[in-house]
Amino acid sequence: MSAVPFENIDYDVRTDIVNAHSDAWKRIAAPGTWLNSERRLAVVAEIRQVQNCNYCKKIKSALSPFGLEGNHQTTKLLGDPEVELIHRGISDSGRLSQAWARKVIESGLTEGEYVEIVGIIASVMILDTMTMALGSKNTELPNKVSGEPRNYLPPGAKVQAAWLPIVEPEDAVETDEPLYPSPKAAYIYRGLSMVPESLRNYWAIANTHYIPGQYVYQFDQSIRAISRPQMELIAARVSGLHECAY
Amino acid sequence: MLRESVQSTDNKVNFLDVTEGLSEYTEIPNAVELINFAEAIVSRDKKNINKARNILYKKLGNDVTVDAAAVASAFHGFVRIADTIGIPYKAAAGGQEGPEIRAATGINKFYRIQEVEGNQR
Repeated sequence: MSAVPFENIDYDVRTDIVNAHSDAWKRIAAPGTWLNSERRLAVVAEIRQVQNCNYCKKIKSALSPFGLEGNHQTTKLLGDPEVELIHRGISDSGRLSQAWARKVIESGLTEGEYVEIVGIIASVMILDTMTMALGSKNTELPNKVSGEPRNYLPPGAKVQAAWLPIVEPEDAVETDEPLYPSPKAAYIYRGLSMVPESLRNYWAIANTHYIPGQYVYQFDQSIRAISRPQMELIAARVSGLHECAY
Repeated sequence: MLRESVQSTDNKVNFLDVTEGLSEYTEIPNAVELINFAEAIVSRDKKNINKARNILYKKLGNDVTVDAAAVASAFHGFVRIADTIGIPYKAAAGGQEGPEIRAATGINKFYRIQEVEGNQR
């Protein structure tokens, strides 16, 4: 593992991406809204463990995702609900169901913890995939940071469109702090809004790797070295390979 | 998004490429090299990734390679949010992606859509 993102690689990585990785790891190591630093870093370790889980490989190749019996190969740092969310959420995300999400929550996670863990999963998937794609090693985990989770629940969060509560733009309040760049923010943008800090942390990474929100609907221009159709072809194929219907 | 991005250019795309891989119909510059790299990244096979990345780098240079890697990586995050939070697929692209684009891309066969449509039957 490497202590600094993109250390010893042959590519000149955009400064905003390098900074996004450095900032992201600091935020991931800090106490969150529902999870303390130690638990957040345990989530990262479990995320990296998924690649070594034979049960996940069996699930992925099975015709029926919920028809197998077995146990995930884990770091043993977290409880069963966290492990199930992390492993299936990474290895077979396209074949999850609302019933499965409910079962994970009912087996011992709060909705806030669930959403915060999803935020870490999504963030680390971007960070580790990017370093892997450019031939770099995983960035070393930072040291844990003392402090308690803030336990902030947005008053406007409610289950409506998705399986988990979401804060619709019209329900956002000042104590949520900035959530959306626009009242028309896409549903994917709203996904982590039950944990506003997770939403902000995730999008700070995602915007540098894809494109910031203000450019999403400007199809006739690209702020990247590849054209918009090239970007969207990659995006659609990666989503398709994950069987993501969104 | 793919449909809208192509409409503003003279590029062409076969939407089935989303689920079945790149076809000859699709005309987006350097689509072969970009898709090979993206597919290698999803496979997480380091040998394939290195090979595809080297080909892309030699043909199109540093910035294209980095940005292609970045977009592919970003969608490793987006799909996890959409699928673990249960964002409704009918809300994709601001609700503009109707049944015809889902049929054209072949995603109607995906588990999530089958499950939802099956429950509504």
